[in-house]
Amino acid sequence: MNRRHVLAGAASVVTAAALNPAWAQFKPTRPVEFVVHGGPGSGNDVFARALIAIIDQEKLSPVRLQVANKPGGGSTTASAYVMSKRGDPNVIACFTNAWITDTLVQEAANNRIVDMSPIVRLVVEPALVVVRADSQIKSMADFINAAKEKPGALKMSGGSITSRENVVRQLLMQSTGARWAFISFPGGGERIAALLGGHVDMMIVDPSEAGEQVRAGKLRPVAQVNDRRLPGFPDIPTLKEAGFDIPNVPQMRGIVGAPGMPADAVAYYEDLFQKVTKTTAWQKFITDNQLDGEFVKTAELKPFLNKFEGQLRDILKEAGAKVVR
Amino acid sequence: MEIASGLLHGFAVALQPANVFWCFVGCFLGTVVGIMPGLGPAATIAMLLPLTFKMDPSGGIIMLAGIYYGAKYGGSTTSILLNIPGESSSVVTCLDGYQMARKGRAGAALGIAAIASFVAGTVGVIGLTLIAPPIAAFALSFSSPEYFALMCLGLALVVLLSGPSLVKGLLALLLGLWLTSIGTDLFTAQSRFIFGQATLLGGIDFMVVAIGVFAIAEVLAGIQAGEKAKLLPVPSGIRNLLPNWEELKACRFAFLNGSVTGFLIGVLPGAGAAISSFMAYGVEKAMSKHPEKFGTGVPEGVAAPEGANNADTGGALVPLLTLGIPGGGTTAIMLSALVLWGIKPGPLLMTEAPDVFWGLVASMYIGNVVLLILNLPLVPLFAQLLRLPVYILFPIILGISIVGAYGASGRLFDLGLLVGFGLLGYLMVKFEYPTAPLILGFVLGDAMERALRQSLMMSQGDLTTFVQRPISAIMLGLAVLILLSPLLRRFNQARVRAIAENG
Amino acid sequence: MLLKDIVYKGDVVSGAVLAALGVYILAQSRAWDYYTADGPGPGFFPAWYGASMVALSLLLIWSALRNDNSERGPVDWPSTGRALATWFAFAVSVALMEPLGFLVSFALLTFFIVAVIFRRPVITAGITAAVAALAFHVVFPVVLNVPLPTGLLGF
Repeated sequence: MNRRHVLAGAASVVTAAALNPAWAQFKPTRPVEFVVHGGPGSGNDVFARALIAIIDQEKLSPVRLQVANKPGGGSTTASAYVMSKRGDPNVIACFTNAWITDTLVQEAANNRIVDMSPIVRLVVEPALVVVRADSQIKSMADFINAAKEKPGALKMSGGSITSRENVVRQLLMQSTGARWAFISFPGGGERIAALLGGHVDMMIVDPSEAGEQVRAGKLRPVAQVNDRRLPGFPDIPTLKEAGFDIPNVPQMRGIVGAPGMPADAVAYYEDLFQKVTKTTAWQKFITDNQLDGEFVKTAELKPFLNKFEGQLRDILKEAGAKVVR
Repeated sequence: MEIASGLLHGFAVALQPANVFWCFVGCFLGTVVGIMPGLGPAATIAMLLPLTFKMDPSGGIIMLAGIYYGAKYGGSTTSILLNIPGESSSVVTCLDGYQMARKGRAGAALGIAAIASFVAGTVGVIGLTLIAPPIAAFALSFSSPEYFALMCLGLALVVLLSGPSLVKGLLALLLGLWLTSIGTDLFTAQSRFIFGQATLLGGIDFMVVAIGVFAIAEVLAGIQAGEKAKLLPVPSGIRNLLPNWEELKACRFAFLNGSVTGFLIGVLPGAGAAISSFMAYGVEKAMSKHPEKFGTGVPEGVAAPEGANNADTGGALVPLLTLGIPGGGTTAIMLSALVLWGIKPGPLLMTEAPDVFWGLVASMYIGNVVLLILNLPLVPLFAQLLRLPVYILFPIILGISIVGAYGASGRLFDLGLLVGFGLLGYLMVKFEYPTAPLILGFVLGDAMERALRQSLMMSQGDLTTFVQRPISAIMLGLAVLILLSPLLRRFNQARVRAIAENG
Repeated sequence: MLLKDIVYKGDVVSGAVLAALGVYILAQSRAWDYYTADGPGPGFFPAWYGASMVALSLLLIWSALRNDNSERGPVDWPSTGRALATWFAFAVSVALMEPLGFLVSFALLTFFIVAVIFRRPVITAGITAAVAALAFHVVFPVVLNVPLPTGLLGF
């Protein structure tokens, strides 16, 4: 073989390794623990299992990924568990906004996601502002005006004070000066039941939860909480389009690794999940579930999370939650 | 008529050999899951979800539903034999079921549990068949004041569960209310009573409390009783291992009570199956001619709660299948399963996917029969477990308690809590405090506080909202009556005595 | 009545403990909002059940002191001791589950209960312990896939 060919070959290998470090170095040899902060069947659990199903189907990983349910205290049990696995390249977790809000309001929850190894953000969950179909309210402006006329009389159902619904409510109330009550219910079923039963006037809900009610004509969406319109709801204006220019504080899901995870392992997972998002199965998944697949890579994720944490801190303080961190 | 044709269509689907097979598989798995503390139907369904991806949706939902209501059959087994609730809704069965076992009627108790489950489970499915849409509308009309009144009614039942000392019963109830508030407040994200432990932010798991206070305490009390509690009597002969006619006759009202109470409360999203079994037990005791015998081992005390937790499954499927609203827990996972199969549960499910809806409903009739046939012959078999000498049985109870407490969460911390609650339960027995009110307070306390705060938020601080709404006013009135009933009874007794003395 | 008699009366002791707990609950609840513009706060319920706990336990103590019916005999210390020893062994075995795992800790607990509490021969205790522990190991983690605590030894 010609020496020049050998040198060229060697150079290309080295270049390839330098350009794609994941390829050259880390590959998991043990099953990967995919930590989830809910029990079996919870939103995160189903999401993680769907990801694993896609990875298995497309044979993207040499080892199995296994869901490790660590429910308890919102995200605190799961985040504490991940924190305890410092340096372990085989532990990743699915994070949501709760991983940030819990650390902001709970004294005892001191495992911040920015201290771990954020890997990628996979999806942003849009929401719909819905009212009952027989309500007088036909648009977001109607609701805001009605709320201004009778401050505190209108009600919306939602989760806890740190939930996305309340965050959007705070932002809207601040920007418009209207005021309405927020009634917390622990489960999605109860929240929708409260709206359908006429006990509350509005709710901000995931399209997947309310989609069928909308289709059956029981609920009417008046606005979307997202940067762009969802394909399933082309006629519903976004809040911005409806004239309510509030900062976008998305509800997101992403992947984070154990603190101190070696850089090549982080790169490996970033690459793995990027490959997942390029599959048709993934496209079908996010379309079916009305998600927005705004992918954020590792390098941009940490600064985004820091900024996001600051945003949430201010909003929660304004909402009256006791912010401890 | 639409329902009749739908049901016939459903049977055509459900009786296909493949679907019958899946029904059987689901019921079998459900029974196993129910028997074993530490295994819950929710976790099992979640584990099996990937396997069901390739399945036909009708078959899949038939199997998953089989696991769901099958578990309610098996859950009473360890409750009766070992005083360990197999599943959270089987807690109330421990009260009289275990006492029946101690008197040598374990087989009868197990048999009654199976029969009550069958009767009430079938009634629940009939309800689902005939009145699903109107009952769903009824459920939607229930708002927070009604929930609050319902919880108050449930808590008023403490009066019936306290035995000789009402004061001690109330104190146990208050203790239960305190224990359930440990954790994070939903409305304000304020953490309460967590003693600095992040692990307590999610609150204390109900099974840990129930197993500790019932099973562990029972073992410790048994050891204290020493040689006097050597062997539990197990009668020989098949006839004695199944309920006799008298016992079955005594349960006539309980079958009806369990069916109706369980179904109605099951329909309400956010009211768990444990609540329906407590209510049914309370109603049974209130209507009984010999209320003082409850807690000593009466068959109705087993039939009512066991029936209720089965009728509850039929009820819980009403909002899920007619509105797409999961009641919580297991129905939430079933919802995910339906979504994964591309079926969207909602108001249009009945008309757009009649195969799935009616196939499922029809399969539940079949499933209840299958479960009765599966469980009844197992009764004499399980009753033999009590032939084990006490020195083997007690460690086994402790072992199963550990499995039950650890299985759900996998945290050693929960085992530490189990140890603590075991001691608490033992002390309660020693100091003669009734333990049922503690469990009642724990089950209802959270929901009651939430409903109260939601109601006042909705009415903007107006307390009259509870009496302005008719259903809530009636239930609160009943609750007050029940709470006052000991005083009324004492007043009446004094009056009768006075009449007798003067006459 | 001697102070000794009062203290040993079960109701008085338990009433005092519960009264103390009630006071603690009340004290803690003062750190949280009792009533806000949005309705009752997190301190509302604890204040009520804490106060009720104090009131009822005082009622219990008072009625126990009033009805001086000592039909209950002296405390049977040996039996109680056995029960408490069992509880203590249970607690220790749970504490040992982290380093030693379920199999070993449970076997030790069973051995203790059979040999010491029930005073069976050591051989019986040993066999029971081994069989029980293995049975649990086979049924739960292996057959049913229910996790049990594993220790440093890997099982």
